[in-house]
Amino acid sequence: MLRISSSSAFDTSVANLQRRQQALSEAQIQLTSGKRVLRPSDDPAAAAQAERALAKMTRSDSQQRALDTAHSVMQLSESALGDAGGILQQARDLLVSAGNGSYGDAARKSIGDNLRSLRNDLLTVANRGDGNGRYLFGGQGSDGEPLKDAPGGVVYSGTSGAMNAATGEAMPLSMDGGAVWLQAADPANPGAVVSVFDALDRAIGELTTAGRTGAQVAQTVTQGLTGIDIAASNLSGWRAAAGETLNRADSVGSRLSQAKLDAQTQRSDAEDLDMVQAVSDFQAKQTGYDAALKTYSLVQRMSLFDFIK
Amino acid sequence: MAAQFAGLQTTGHNIANANVAGYSRQQVDLATSRGQWQLGHFYGSGVDVAAVSRSHDDFLTSESSSAGSLAAMDSARLDQLKGLENVFPPGEGGMGDLTSQFFKALSDVSNHPGDLPSRRVALARAGDLAARFGVAGNALDQLQIGVSTSLKATVTEVNGLAQGIAGLNKQIAALKSLGQPPNDLMDQRDEMIAKLSQKIRVSRVDASDGTTTVSVSNGQPLVLGSVAASLQVGQDPRDSTRSALTMMNGPVATALDENTLGGGSVAGLLQFQNQDLVLGRNLMGRLATAVGMAINDQQAHGLSLQEPLGQVGGSPLFLLGQPQSLPHAANARDGAGAPLGSVSMTITDPTALQASDYELKAAPAAGTWQLTRLSDGKVSTITSGDVIDGVQIDIANPQPGDRFLLQPVGRAGHDMKALLSDPRDLAAAAPLVATTAVGNIGTAAVAGLLVTALPLPTPNATVQIAFIDETGGYSWTLLDSSNAVIGGGNGIWQAGQPIPTPPQDFNGFSLQLSGVPRSGDVVNVAPVAAAGVVTNNGNALALVGLRDASLLDGGNITDGWAQAIADVGVKVQSGKTAWSISSGVADQAEQSRSAQSGVNLDEEAGRLIQYQQGYQAAAKVLSVAQAVFDTLLQTTGH
Repeated sequence: MLRISSSSAFDTSVANLQRRQQALSEAQIQLTSGKRVLRPSDDPAAAAQAERALAKMTRSDSQQRALDTAHSVMQLSESALGDAGGILQQARDLLVSAGNGSYGDAARKSIGDNLRSLRNDLLTVANRGDGNGRYLFGGQGSDGEPLKDAPGGVVYSGTSGAMNAATGEAMPLSMDGGAVWLQAADPANPGAVVSVFDALDRAIGELTTAGRTGAQVAQTVTQGLTGIDIAASNLSGWRAAAGETLNRADSVGSRLSQAKLDAQTQRSDAEDLDMVQAVSDFQAKQTGYDAALKTYSLVQRMSLFDFIK
Repeated sequence: MAAQFAGLQTTGHNIANANVAGYSRQQVDLATSRGQWQLGHFYGSGVDVAAVSRSHDDFLTSESSSAGSLAAMDSARLDQLKGLENVFPPGEGGMGDLTSQFFKALSDVSNHPGDLPSRRVALARAGDLAARFGVAGNALDQLQIGVSTSLKATVTEVNGLAQGIAGLNKQIAALKSLGQPPNDLMDQRDEMIAKLSQKIRVSRVDASDGTTTVSVSNGQPLVLGSVAASLQVGQDPRDSTRSALTMMNGPVATALDENTLGGGSVAGLLQFQNQDLVLGRNLMGRLATAVGMAINDQQAHGLSLQEPLGQVGGSPLFLLGQPQSLPHAANARDGAGAPLGSVSMTITDPTALQASDYELKAAPAAGTWQLTRLSDGKVSTITSGDVIDGVQIDIANPQPGDRFLLQPVGRAGHDMKALLSDPRDLAAAAPLVATTAVGNIGTAAVAGLLVTALPLPTPNATVQIAFIDETGGYSWTLLDSSNAVIGGGNGIWQAGQPIPTPPQDFNGFSLQLSGVPRSGDVVNVAPVAAAGVVTNNGNALALVGLRDASLLDGGNITDGWAQAIADVGVKVQSGKTAWSISSGVADQAEQSRSAQSGVNLDEEAGRLIQYQQGYQAAAKVLSVAQAVFDTLLQTTGH
């Protein structure tokens, strides 16, 4: 028969009470923090998974910001190209009106001057900034404004191509100004390219020159219209591309937010507490502790000495 | 009556000592006195106290001591492991999160490469990350200091206990000659041995003269008769920052290591110091090295915003703690005490690093060395200059018997600093840009351009890649700044493969194309224009891309963090399990011991009544005897 040593019985009971109290306190910490994994040792695999999920969330955030930047640039580019289309339409109307046989040199010069101011507006549009110190049509970087007036016409001072944003999927941060403004493909003449500024400059030059014959004027108008039409079609092609990029940005954006949501879920699955389960566990522990306290106070009070009179 | 009184007295002693640790219940062993021969019969002559003995079981006592010793070891280690776990916090504010935040800031820089505030934020995040590593390194130092302090305090206690046991041995041997066991002194000695076992595992042998020899696990006697040896805490001869234990038996010093100690809090502390803390340092250092070196390397491949634009490459962003080689204390030294032989290490491939220290000593064959990876005991034979686990090891002026402890990454995180403070120093721009020519008819576009060498083999040169057929064949020409041809050749591009095909190199770059080039198409790779440096984000993208690069064991940096956190978590978890098992066993053993030796107050109450009644009965006999005698006297008096 096992003897019970009184002092060890006290020690054991007290130690058990402390263990239960500790378990209760841990359950309480879990409940109040809402986390099942507070330290890596609580569940190393889950802690590692939560860590990966947290990194994914931060990465989604950073990619979303890059995407927002690209989105804003593309939106600005798209609207710049829309403005340019409007300007070209006005230029086209002006040029058509210049073909009016009843106009003299003065009238044509006035039209030419109007056309020049439209051309300058167009150049301003082509050199629009993105609000962050860069140019919408700066390509892979430019020395100041990417499209510059130079002897012989407007030239592109940027590097061709486009900058990319760190979105995980290729998303441009700029457009290639040379390709947009100066290199419209001429369908009638494979390999040749048309610069919208050259076309306008030629027409302006002719219209502001006095003494042109009707036939010369008609040819100027035809050539100018052809140039404008080729350029306008190129611009609308790029505008469509910008619109397409915006659409793609939307779907990339929804993928990114989905990825972030997935990561959040993953993290929560890994380290968050199942409240219902936890509350039930807590109550079980509470009941256990309560019972332990009651039996301790009842049993340890009993002593034969109480009965010796 | 005297015997019953002895019983009462012993019961009283038991009750009084019920709560004294290590006290063994005592009992009076009564023996019937030899009868007296009278009138042809033996008449009983009462009772004698044969002995006062203690209820004691040597086996249960030593079992309880040794189980307690293991539990104390696991408990000491677990306490320290919990501290180590705090150095690797998961979640927000942890090192993994700070790394993510740093990459996020770099991503912002790639969105706005010319924007100084964005760059400033990125440098601040780099500073946070380095500082966090430094804080963690200091926390590890604090753990080391804590271990050394605890070891010293524990060893002082051990020495005190050993002295105490030696003193008790002397007293017990002297008293034993009286013929009766000095129970209380023996209890005291057992209790001291039990306390000693908590600190360091010991075995005991009881001699016939009443003394007990107490030996540590390797058999060296700590207490022999009335002489006690002493333990000392000194520097570990392999690594002076660590503590080591030696036992001084007179002038003879014996080193004790955690593997031979076998139990006790001293063993737990040494295990933590020599295994867990080393692992913690190396995990931390390897992560710091992986991030730091990758970032520094990529920085070196980009251009900063410093003047003259386009000419200034990026300088290192992080300073890392250098690899440490620690000569053994016994290595040959010159007159000034500096070791003659030395080992230097260079990290050649940070992705191949292992989170381990190494031991280097001469191998049997001349000029060869035996290198032991201490994390898993893997042994390799090397010669000076060999590269092992991404570290080149150079041995200079070796002396016979030289030994070294190598720590390639142990200090890397501890001494990590962010070096840059001028936001212009961040190398966001790539030195080269790739462009497709205007008249190209194929769909080929530049998908990526990686600069592989900086400074470029031929600075200010352009490489023109012209496709010459429809199957990816191309000719390339290297043009200097005045467009004169200074080199060239032919190659074949295959979808998905870079241009040029490694290991071929045109001018320090690797170009990826998407789409398909047609014959006559041209791609140029030219130096970035000075004006384009401000807006170019090529290298910033490459820096951001490092978060996906395989930097550690084939995984990216996030996997590395998650793995390190899990490694430490598993250590703590198994420490907890070991402790809960050994403390359970110890509790059980102590219960068994106390069941044998402990005082049950109810039992003593019972005995009290028993002896009380016996005493009363004996007293009654006396009074009856007195009455009989009186009656006799009265009768004869008449």
